[in-house]
Amino acid sequence: MSTQTDNLDAPSSRLRSESQSSIWLRRFTSLAPLWTLLALGIFFSIASPTFSRPINLNNILAQISTLAIFGTGMTFVLLTGEIDLSIAAVAGLAGMIAAYLYANLEYAEPIPTLAALGVSTLLGLVGGFASTRFRIPTFMATLALSLIAGGLNTYVSKGRVISDLPEIASFLGSGRIGGSSGLRVIIIVAALSLLIGHLVLRYTRFGRYVYMTGASKSAARLVGVNTDRILLITLTISGFAAGLAGIVSMGRLGSAQPIAIPSYLIDTIGAVVLGGTALTGGRGGIPQTVMGLLIYGTLRNGLDNIPEIDIYLKDFITGVVLLAALVVNVVLSGRRARDKTS
Amino acid sequence: MPPVIELKNISKRFLNLQALDHVDFDLREGETHALVGENGAGKSTLMRILAGIYPEYEGDYFIRGQRIHLGSPRDALNRGIGMIHQELSVMPELSVAENLFLGRQITNRWGAVDWKKMNTVAQDELARLGFDDIDVQKPLGNYALGTQQVVEVLRVMLSGAQVLIMDEPTSALSPAEVERLIQLINTLPQTNRSVIYISHFLDEVMRVADRITVLRDGQKVRTLEKTETNVNQLISLILGHDVQSEPPLSASTSDGHTLLDIQNLTADVFSDISLKINQGEIVGIYGAIGAGHFDLARAIFGMYRFDSGTIRVDGQIFPHHFSASYAINHGLAYATESRRKSLFMDEAIYRNVTMPHLRRISTLFSRARQEFQVASPVVERVNVQPGDPLNPVGKLSGGNQQKVVIARWLAFPPKVFVMSEPTRGMDVGAKSEVLNILRDFRNQGYGVLVVSSEPETVLAVCDRVVVMSRGKIVSEMANKNLNKDVLMRLL
Repeated sequence: MSTQTDNLDAPSSRLRSESQSSIWLRRFTSLAPLWTLLALGIFFSIASPTFSRPINLNNILAQISTLAIFGTGMTFVLLTGEIDLSIAAVAGLAGMIAAYLYANLEYAEPIPTLAALGVSTLLGLVGGFASTRFRIPTFMATLALSLIAGGLNTYVSKGRVISDLPEIASFLGSGRIGGSSGLRVIIIVAALSLLIGHLVLRYTRFGRYVYMTGASKSAARLVGVNTDRILLITLTISGFAAGLAGIVSMGRLGSAQPIAIPSYLIDTIGAVVLGGTALTGGRGGIPQTVMGLLIYGTLRNGLDNIPEIDIYLKDFITGVVLLAALVVNVVLSGRRARDKTS
Repeated sequence: MPPVIELKNISKRFLNLQALDHVDFDLREGETHALVGENGAGKSTLMRILAGIYPEYEGDYFIRGQRIHLGSPRDALNRGIGMIHQELSVMPELSVAENLFLGRQITNRWGAVDWKKMNTVAQDELARLGFDDIDVQKPLGNYALGTQQVVEVLRVMLSGAQVLIMDEPTSALSPAEVERLIQLINTLPQTNRSVIYISHFLDEVMRVADRITVLRDGQKVRTLEKTETNVNQLISLILGHDVQSEPPLSASTSDGHTLLDIQNLTADVFSDISLKINQGEIVGIYGAIGAGHFDLARAIFGMYRFDSGTIRVDGQIFPHHFSASYAINHGLAYATESRRKSLFMDEAIYRNVTMPHLRRISTLFSRARQEFQVASPVVERVNVQPGDPLNPVGKLSGGNQQKVVIARWLAFPPKVFVMSEPTRGMDVGAKSEVLNILRDFRNQGYGVLVVSSEPETVLAVCDRVVVMSRGKIVSEMANKNLNKDVLMRLL
């Protein structure tokens, strides 16, 4: 027994035997997102008088909370090496269904919320079924699904905004615990979603299968993993997460919109990949997604807090910084890949 | 008249391997010149130098008496030397005519493709060579592999090649398709074209070749006129010793309990395969690349679809469609011929070992400590070096990676272990270690199926050898008095 324990502690002793510079490089490399976050944080603290106030930092958390829920599902999908392009549309549809059932058909809670979550989960399942059963690439299947969800949203809403929202959505999206200056519920929901995602990915057998499917589909199949089933489940999870994000976001914004917010999709993928989860699958995870979200949130919020910046330039700057951060990540992970072959 | 191609004193080294050692070779106009030799004798290297794929070598290369140097395959094609690869490089979705004119479509004066003219020319070319049953407007994928191979040859010819290099062109073809290709090759001298023909199938070589060059261990043994030699002499030249004439023993039915029983298994690339593996037995399936034996192994493990036949493991009949996890749960294990495709290179050794068994050693949650306890003893048993189970598999040598592939299945032993190319690309020491592990496994009363294109491997470790050629079992023998001559003759 004792030898086992010794062996489990071996990584540190093994690391010590490597050259100091390579350790330093590896540590620096693996923490690249952290450096990015620190650099951005310091920059905005200096450039903006309001950025580093506690109330603003709290704001950042609230702003990225919706993305965090989307990002939990997206992390699962990206880890298998696939993609889900339907999340923004599915979220829009989920919000509309909940609001429509509540306001127009006068169903009592929790039916509207459960129905919305059910439909979005089902849509994820449909996308997964299409791509595993009929070998349609997830890129295409979820793109089609995005149109379907968006179309249903338009049809149900007839183009009208609904502002009479079910209580659950309002509570999750804009409620606070402990008085008017208490903790925002949306942050708790986001944190819980990330935590559950992390536990599943890191500690369950299913989580292992997700990583292995993305790392090498052929090797996973050879050891008996049903990679199709894994993909189906991850897309279903992503559908559920999108539905939840849709309800929360509706509660936060105060109305159900007939048109989905398209930036959710780009922002989610951007944040998750920025954190270091590879689009090719098998590498990354929830901790990386958290880093990505923080960077993204800091960037977006920080630009708002510098009055000198033209508001019309915000998207452009975000895009440039995103591209730069991605280049840094890719270059550094490329260096890591070369290390492996030597 | 100088020969079309002449090579003098060609040598080529890869790191510490002398692939070619002062080899001479010449090709006359209108002749078919076959290259034969064992795996690793230097055929492929010589061929790649001829086709411009390896621009760096020592020695001289002459085309029609003129000393040249080829920098690339395109360079070679410009000088009239075209290569037909073992793996077809045709586009199955495009029409036959498009494939024939790939990259050189006939265009009209507006620069658009002139379909009418292209189809007519293609149809005429095919008709002239006796293939008028092929409709050039149909997608090439609609035709059998043999026809695709013929079209590939024609494509290279039409692109202006005077010399055609063919690397194992018939290994995946049915006998009728082989006839078709040989028919085509035999018409080439009429157009003054020459062929360099590489094949494992010596009877086929005797039918198409005018001259035959034998290579062994990177050296040229001899060049013979077809009329002055026979298959027996070729085999003894290839192997470097006299052919032994003792007949191999027919397979003895060992009386152990049958663990794997395959009856009449048929798929697109193999047919009517029946074989049994008993307790405590290592059975080898030997065949040239393309014989269908690797796909047979996949089919047994549920990873290649078969049309008919039955698979029984330890008396239990498998359903017609089953998954790899079904096969694992019912006592099968499988390792492919590609280590790269069967391991998670970035993951620790112990995690690679426990992947197939997570269901057994963990509940809903996976537990590193349990995994470690399962993996450590087997990793030690197969002597992985360096043996720290926390090392990523990608950092191990090929031989040690293969040990991990095997160790994976020793933790919870299967009834039958199907293994493709267990020792490919390993050094001598790792080879014998891996084979010893397989012997141990057998001695504990399990069954092993070794699938290989390397006669040495099969002969070294198997109790019984099944030879497959072009998708069919052609022979089954006990591994007594068995040697490479016998195996080669059966291909």
